[in-house]
Amino acid sequence: MSVIDAPAHGSARRPPHALKRVLGLLAILGPGLIAANAGNDAGGILTYASAGAEFGYRTLFLMVLITVALVVVQEMCARLGAYTGEGLGALIREEFSLRSGASAMVLLFVANAGLTVSEFAGVGASMEIFGVSRYIAVPIALVAIWAVTVLGNYTRAERVFLVMGLVFLAYPVSAFLAHPHASAVFSNLLWPHFLHSKAFLLLSVALIGTTITPYMQFYLTSAVVDKGVTPETYKGERIDTVNGAILSDVVSIFIIIATAAAIGGSGALTSAAQAASALRPVAGASAEQLFAVGLLGASLLAATVVPLSTAYAIAETAGAERSLSRKLSEAPLFYGLLTTQLVVGAAVALLPGNAVELVVNAQVLNGFITPVLLTYILILANRRSVLGSAANGPRFRALATVCVAVVSVLSAVVLVQTVAGWL
Amino acid sequence: MLVGRTFWSPRKRHDAVATASSNAVRKVREDAARRWRDSQAARELEGSLISLAALIGTDVTNPDGEAVGQLRDVVVRWTSRTSHPAVTAIVVRASGHNTVIGAHWVEMSSSSGVRLRAHAAYARGAQRRPGEVLLAHDVLDRQVVGADGVDIVRPADVYLAAVKGGIELIGIEVGVRALLRRLGSKRRRGRVRPARVIDWATIRSFTPVRDDGTGHRGRRSDLAGATGTGLRLNVAAEELSALRAAEVEAALHQSDDESEGPSP
Repeated sequence: MSVIDAPAHGSARRPPHALKRVLGLLAILGPGLIAANAGNDAGGILTYASAGAEFGYRTLFLMVLITVALVVVQEMCARLGAYTGEGLGALIREEFSLRSGASAMVLLFVANAGLTVSEFAGVGASMEIFGVSRYIAVPIALVAIWAVTVLGNYTRAERVFLVMGLVFLAYPVSAFLAHPHASAVFSNLLWPHFLHSKAFLLLSVALIGTTITPYMQFYLTSAVVDKGVTPETYKGERIDTVNGAILSDVVSIFIIIATAAAIGGSGALTSAAQAASALRPVAGASAEQLFAVGLLGASLLAATVVPLSTAYAIAETAGAERSLSRKLSEAPLFYGLLTTQLVVGAAVALLPGNAVELVVNAQVLNGFITPVLLTYILILANRRSVLGSAANGPRFRALATVCVAVVSVLSAVVLVQTVAGWL
Repeated sequence: MLVGRTFWSPRKRHDAVATASSNAVRKVREDAARRWRDSQAARELEGSLISLAALIGTDVTNPDGEAVGQLRDVVVRWTSRTSHPAVTAIVVRASGHNTVIGAHWVEMSSSSGVRLRAHAAYARGAQRRPGEVLLAHDVLDRQVVGADGVDIVRPADVYLAAVKGGIELIGIEVGVRALLRRLGSKRRRGRVRPARVIDWATIRSFTPVRDDGTGHRGRRSDLAGATGTGLRLNVAAEELSALRAAEVEAALHQSDDESEGPSP
């Protein structure tokens, strides 16, 4: 499965230089962009909108820091995939221990199951805005996702999802049309304006959690391997990864700005309709429909990426064949896991009432996995025995250590907070 | 769960064809008998097979039974002429250093662990010699690939056995139960019951540095030395049928006979 098949037609017609570069850039759209964009899923969008509505521009500086951390983490993952030819699950089993690998897999499986449910719930919610019952929309989405991953051309499908997600580029436009305080935006981007309150801390951690999520790292590493990236072709993959992480966070930042300009300071979000209202400067009365299209694309993309990351990770830890380019019969465990997660996720999303909420709570486990996983990634990327000359240099290592430490501490904070809240 | 039975044995496909009830009854009986033979054989093997996974990290003792260090790895010499390579050395971790001790000085069994024969064992240089394989580092948990390039499994354990004239590498365990055994308590880890074993003779080579067009696996070999990233079988994934306990026992006896006389 090669994503580098697109630009071939460009060379025949000899497009002008600039166009050629754009085509080249589109061609390397790949795992990096997909992984980062999957982070802007239904839960992510609502968290960003909530940040804008509740705290205005105050979280912007944090988003800049999160972007740096995301770029650093994702780059290490892509590098590990390209240079070792193995995914994170496999690397953890080989380099740490079977026990670490197995426990990481159990936690990832449960947390991702919860996420898959919430992605299908996102599909249902967005289609209900168009008056389509979720009992129709979710099964159709399930069949469609299963078909493109198992039977069909996944690369083409992933572009369709990405394009649907591009609807969220309406947020930047919206942000400009809403005439935000330019000076306030810039001062908040460049300098922290944090609040000393519990609500602010919790939201900050939620922002980190929704932007840097374990499945993104597992997916990216495995997808880079599956795509067949080698050390020689890593340069292009690195551009894809860094650009993808930055682009997806720029969209997140604009969601915050647009919501802050439209309904900033109105308190926490209570409904998706409120989040949609930030698109009113662009779409007017049809803001809600536009929001729904974007939400649908984001949910579909994440509903594909999350189960894929589980299937990749568990199959490679077991050593079973895992690749989207294999046939169903050639990789039974991989496709079996993928199918199970999809079916169970969609089914639970259609259950009435509390069941959904309960399962979605399983995501809290991510707060537990993230610190451990990031530490593993950091150690692996530091090891010369793993990456040889591509291992982290001293400066990158220092930066990565700070990023991992901060994200880990904050994830641990929210974990403790949430669990304490349950007791 | 991890390794479905249908995936392994071509016999299973045959089952589906046997529709006549008398056939089915016979089949069930045969299966039961085979299972019984396997469990008997597995029980007998419990004493003679040595599990690498259970030994790694345990104490290496001197003749008086005092710990002198921990077992880090077991080295075998694998050449094209040996189907079941002999153990040539062990790697012992003592006071922060890895020491390589020749197999001549070492006794190994599943019940009493690893013991040195003398108080002063000769420690050789830590350099890897040609053809030498570090079982814990190069084999355990590494990717096993079929001849057709399909990833199959990662070994949950590596089995050794004492034969006349030394200790030999028998094969790799790929069963789910062995995986659970390693995840379980330390006490249970010593109870070796082979379930699904790939004979070492089936293993062709380490995954080559650069694979054919299908992929790029094996690049870690550049970094990890001549042996790197995983093992390649000489059969395709579909054709592979893992040995059951009874077959392992037979193979073990055969291996014993072979080592009695110098093979041509």
